[in-house]
Amino acid sequence: MNPWRTLWHYNRGKVLAAAALVVFVVWAYTRDPQIVEAVLASSLRLSIPLILGALCGLIGERSGVINIGIEGQMLLAAFVAFLVNVYTGNLLLATLSGMLVGAVLGFFLAFMSVTLRIDQIIGGTVINMLAFGLTGYFYQVGLVTKGKFAPIPIPGLADIPILGAMFFRNPPLTYLTLLLIFVVQFWLFYTPWGLRTRAVGEHPRAADTVGIDVYKMRYLNVTLAGSLAGLAGAYLTLEAVGSFERAMTNGQGFVALAVMIFGRWNPILAWGAALLFGFATALQTQLQFMNAAQIPASLLWLKQIPHQFIGMLPYLLTIIVLAGVGGRTRPPAAVGQPYVKE
Amino acid sequence: MKKWYWLLAVLAVLALALAACGGQQQAAEQATEAAQQEQGAAAEVDCKSPDTFCVGLVTDVGEIDDKSFNQSAWEGVQKALEEGVADKIDYIETKDAKDYEANIQLFAEQGYDVIVTVGFALGEATRAMADRYPDIMFIGVDQFQADAKPNVAGLIFHEDQAGFLAGALAGMMTETNKVAAVLGTDLVPPVVAFGTGYENGAKYVNPDVEVLMTYHPGGLDVAFTDPAWGAATAKQAMDQGADVIFAAGGKTGNGGLIEVAGRAKAGERVYCIGVDTDQWYTVPEARPCLITSAMKLITDGVFDLIKMAKEGNFPSGNYFGDVGLAPFHDFEDQVPQEVKDKLDEIRQGLMDGTIDTGWNPGG
Repeated sequence: MNPWRTLWHYNRGKVLAAAALVVFVVWAYTRDPQIVEAVLASSLRLSIPLILGALCGLIGERSGVINIGIEGQMLLAAFVAFLVNVYTGNLLLATLSGMLVGAVLGFFLAFMSVTLRIDQIIGGTVINMLAFGLTGYFYQVGLVTKGKFAPIPIPGLADIPILGAMFFRNPPLTYLTLLLIFVVQFWLFYTPWGLRTRAVGEHPRAADTVGIDVYKMRYLNVTLAGSLAGLAGAYLTLEAVGSFERAMTNGQGFVALAVMIFGRWNPILAWGAALLFGFATALQTQLQFMNAAQIPASLLWLKQIPHQFIGMLPYLLTIIVLAGVGGRTRPPAAVGQPYVKE
Repeated sequence: MKKWYWLLAVLAVLALALAACGGQQQAAEQATEAAQQEQGAAAEVDCKSPDTFCVGLVTDVGEIDDKSFNQSAWEGVQKALEEGVADKIDYIETKDAKDYEANIQLFAEQGYDVIVTVGFALGEATRAMADRYPDIMFIGVDQFQADAKPNVAGLIFHEDQAGFLAGALAGMMTETNKVAAVLGTDLVPPVVAFGTGYENGAKYVNPDVEVLMTYHPGGLDVAFTDPAWGAATAKQAMDQGADVIFAAGGKTGNGGLIEVAGRAKAGERVYCIGVDTDQWYTVPEARPCLITSAMKLITDGVFDLIKMAKEGNFPSGNYFGDVGLAPFHDFEDQVPQEVKDKLDEIRQGLMDGTIDTGWNPGG
């Protein structure tokens, strides 16, 4: 079936909720354009590592490999990208080295889960611990970077109200990520490779019978997906912060998995989920920024609830989605199962 | 296949070892180092003799040259040696939180007269060791003493006053009449003190100013180590017109400082204010915007306490160290003279109590 039709068919609730959110944003924009643009730009920015991590997770799971090592891939990639930036000052090289580290760890995960057939959860945990250990051990206080990616406004597009501030005044890795979301969507649903990937994740035996090399597909997918987690790490040190700190991923690799599930293993839906997570964080910041007089009386209750609760909202929604409200959520059938060739 | 399993097992063990104790090796080195220092001490100054005055310092997990708490406190101890207050000084770098008591004990057994422990986290260990060694005087930096022990002085600070001064500067320097504060969690009282002082300081000099203030939503485990959030939040504030950003929240705040620096480098008129120590040195990336830092003068506080210990009027319980603003560095010329005068006046007012920061720890 056409994936767009599927998307609408199974996600009416989410699509309608998104539409309602858009209406709310436009209404708020008429009241205070500056604040709305600031919050939306912040939401997008906070969503970037989440969607990259989620893309990494969903490519892996679509081909049948659970990846809970995204956090570790991000962290080690962030560290290596940071080091390359410190010693060479070449941001492009630093980005590529971060992606390479992510890919290498992805390959390692594929090796553990495809060739050795060990429990995939344990494989991911090994990666997380390795990354925390290595970065904690080798990080030295006092390393100073030579700058970070600066925003590049796109002429013309950057002046569009709302959308301009949100999408077209960003640094390069953000543009790259936005592009990648659609590339992965296309690649998963409109190319032979994508079809094979999904077949391998749903029913490897059947895929094998028609001549698809299950092992090769899993190796390649998990490795390439790893480079996306690596990009997320590079994004953190080269674009979002400009420096490295121990454990700076702060669990975003795990939140990415929630984003992936919330988005039903679909890149575009996952992006919507990532934006929601980012929006919740930006919104609670904004509610603290504003004093009671600036908030319309009908929305004043938002200010009264503790700000942590608003930050909690996306997690709550994830649980609700997982519990099956609004249609059953189903992961790829063969996820987590090693395939043994006969 | 078998040999692969073997390789994997080795890797897994390596990962565990690295994750669990990223510093065990240094701990061993440090032990030998301490032993050598002990021998050296015996040759030069005998701390056990009543005629000598020895001061030891135990750091929190981290290096002595961390350009932050540990270093500031150590400089205070060094000053004591230079001024002839102390005859011998030494330090131990703590590598693991388990070793707080053991490290304090190393000094205690050598007959040191004063032991300085740096950081809130050493509070319990310090008090426990103070009970065991009643003749040794302990100085606990950033350790609030709920009840006084005769041989422990907690060196604490009026963070609200430091924040008030930073806020006053922000309130006078802003052109948009919007200033912002990006803070660590409100679960930590000193952070709230910084924030409250900042807000009231800005409003004290500039009643029209709008203060955008926000705390990190996470718990203690992440609130001070989330530079990505700090940076995004600083940007969100600047996008709404804030042109002075106060970042108080460890690494989280540092992310905010670097973000503001990026805007300043691009030619925007934005300033950032650091916290705790002079962040001109701790976060060099922030220099394009770093107008000052709201400092706790740990060095002077430690030195004063050591001096009092020597003179026999050691204060037990809590001792308040001074706070102040760091030098303006490159921004010396951009801060007008009347602003500097006003800051002096406010500093005076805070000292003699005529200005209230509005921070009330009790309620």
